[in-house]
Amino acid sequence: MGEFVRGYLGLVRASTQVAIAYRGRMVVWFLTGFFPLLLMAVWLTVVAGSGPPRGWTTGDFIGYYAAAAVLWHLSGQHVVWEWDADQRSGDLSVRLMRPMHPFHQYAASDLGHRVVALAMLVPVLALATLVTPGLQYHLTAVRALAVAAAVLLGYLLSLVMASVFALVGFWTTQTSNLYMLWWGMGSFVSGWVAPLALMPGWLRPAAGVLPFRTTMGFPIEVLTGRLAGTQVWFGFAVGLGWLGVFTVVYLAAWPHAVRRHQAVAG
Amino acid sequence: MATVRNPRAAGRVGRTAAGTAAIVLVVTVEVDGLVKCYRVHRRRAGLRAALGGLFRREYTEVRAVDGVGFSIAAGQIVGFLGPNGAGKTTTLKCLAGLLHPTAGTVRVLGHTPHQRERDFLRQVSLVMGQRNSLFWDLPALDAFEVNRVIYGIAPARYAAALAELVELLELEPLLTKQIRVLSLGERMRCELAGALLHEPRVLFLDEPTLGLDVTAQAAVRGFLRDYNASRGATVLLTSHYMGDVTALASRVLVIDHGRLRFDGDLSALARAHVTHRIVRLRLARPVPAAALAGYGEVVGTDGTALTLRVPATDTATVAARLLVAFDVVDVAIEDPPIEDVIRAVFAGG
Repeated sequence: MGEFVRGYLGLVRASTQVAIAYRGRMVVWFLTGFFPLLLMAVWLTVVAGSGPPRGWTTGDFIGYYAAAAVLWHLSGQHVVWEWDADQRSGDLSVRLMRPMHPFHQYAASDLGHRVVALAMLVPVLALATLVTPGLQYHLTAVRALAVAAAVLLGYLLSLVMASVFALVGFWTTQTSNLYMLWWGMGSFVSGWVAPLALMPGWLRPAAGVLPFRTTMGFPIEVLTGRLAGTQVWFGFAVGLGWLGVFTVVYLAAWPHAVRRHQAVAG
Repeated sequence: MATVRNPRAAGRVGRTAAGTAAIVLVVTVEVDGLVKCYRVHRRRAGLRAALGGLFRREYTEVRAVDGVGFSIAAGQIVGFLGPNGAGKTTTLKCLAGLLHPTAGTVRVLGHTPHQRERDFLRQVSLVMGQRNSLFWDLPALDAFEVNRVIYGIAPARYAAALAELVELLELEPLLTKQIRVLSLGERMRCELAGALLHEPRVLFLDEPTLGLDVTAQAAVRGFLRDYNASRGATVLLTSHYMGDVTALASRVLVIDHGRLRFDGDLSALARAHVTHRIVRLRLARPVPAAALAGYGEVVGTDGTALTLRVPATDTATVAARLLVAFDVVDVAIEDPPIEDVIRAVFAGG
């Protein structure tokens, strides 16, 4: 077990080094980290024109999308692109020859890149909370722990969910487009396009039990203190349930998937 | 009794009933009735065919390996020979565990490779000449460190192995350079080092000298020979460069159309398929080529140096006649180049 953890940490370290190998790329990452603030700008425009929705202030929107900027970087979806490219180029063979499951190799690689992105983004946002009126999170120790757990759960779920879609590539050769369809549909009910609280009443219950909210809206709602205790537990239960489902699907599909590996190109 | 290059590694020293020591050969690789089929999508060239492929796909089944069987003792270097598409690399990938056989059994170091058990993967290594396995954006030293943690190599053992590989492969100037900026030959030396840091017991090499210049090829071959001799590792090699095989492999497996056509040492392969021999003469004074017409096919003349192609069964007689008829300073009788032998094997059908 210790050896496995050391291997994991070593890969994260290497991936972090790869992530900081190109300075220009780091700058671009930093900028893309603020994409959610574009949605915030849209909402603030709406609020300025027709008044804030019930129970929401301008500060709430700022706080919501500032947190979304962090969650945006913890989507874990990048692993699909890596799997996809490696399956088609044959580079997956290299990963299959290592004594570590490819899932962990891709996850560790992704984590290394997330570390760098967040290391740039989080200090800026922390500074922003000090100087931006309305951008404040009232965190207690318990809530901070709940937020950390929700963020971890969201990241794990997005990672496993993306990895399940990556396995489809063993049958279809190419899988990233299918995942983008899934992710695109999911973004409407994840809390990315709009906070769940502002969605139509008929959509909210469905969004609450689908897996997407766990990866975006739920950690933010915990952070902003918009959920009652039972709602928090329900959110965790939904997330853990989906994590279990996708993990089982992954574990069940993997032996069948890897049988189909063609080790192309050489 | 079969001979092996490195008895220490190839076998356990056991005791017979009489109490005498005997080397027990340890079989590292066992393959029986290996079959691997691919389903391949085919379409004609052009936009029209591409559009047609959207609605109707044509697939054919390719039987890349068709009932191959062999076993390899520990410590052997075995070369896979065959034309493009013969099934060499597919066989190698089945042995490495990358491909699941369609039928048949494969055992390597007592493991079923395609089950990809951790213990198996830690004892083998695959080097693909046209594929990079080290972290592309990292300096070589950091890329090696990644392998250290993945394979769980103890720091002291890693330091010793790295120092040895750096010296043998002359890697010192490359250690601080990113892998992606290395030349092909430099990269291949780093790939070999990365693949050997965990001291694998079985080394799979797929075209390890592909694209390398002559000097780099020689360096890689020399290193592999030394590694095999010092560690007793089993080495399985595919290569289009006959030089790789002749320099390294004591045994060759000739595969064609997915079937094993020959299994034995190179000289046996030559004996089985050589129909002619090459007789090289150096004469005291030049003679016209026509004067040699009755002795064999003259394939080269250069002043007093002559090269004849003589039927293998007549070689001794022809050589004796030449020594009597001409003022011969030197004579040499050689098998034809192994490339010609292989060509003869495949031409023979």
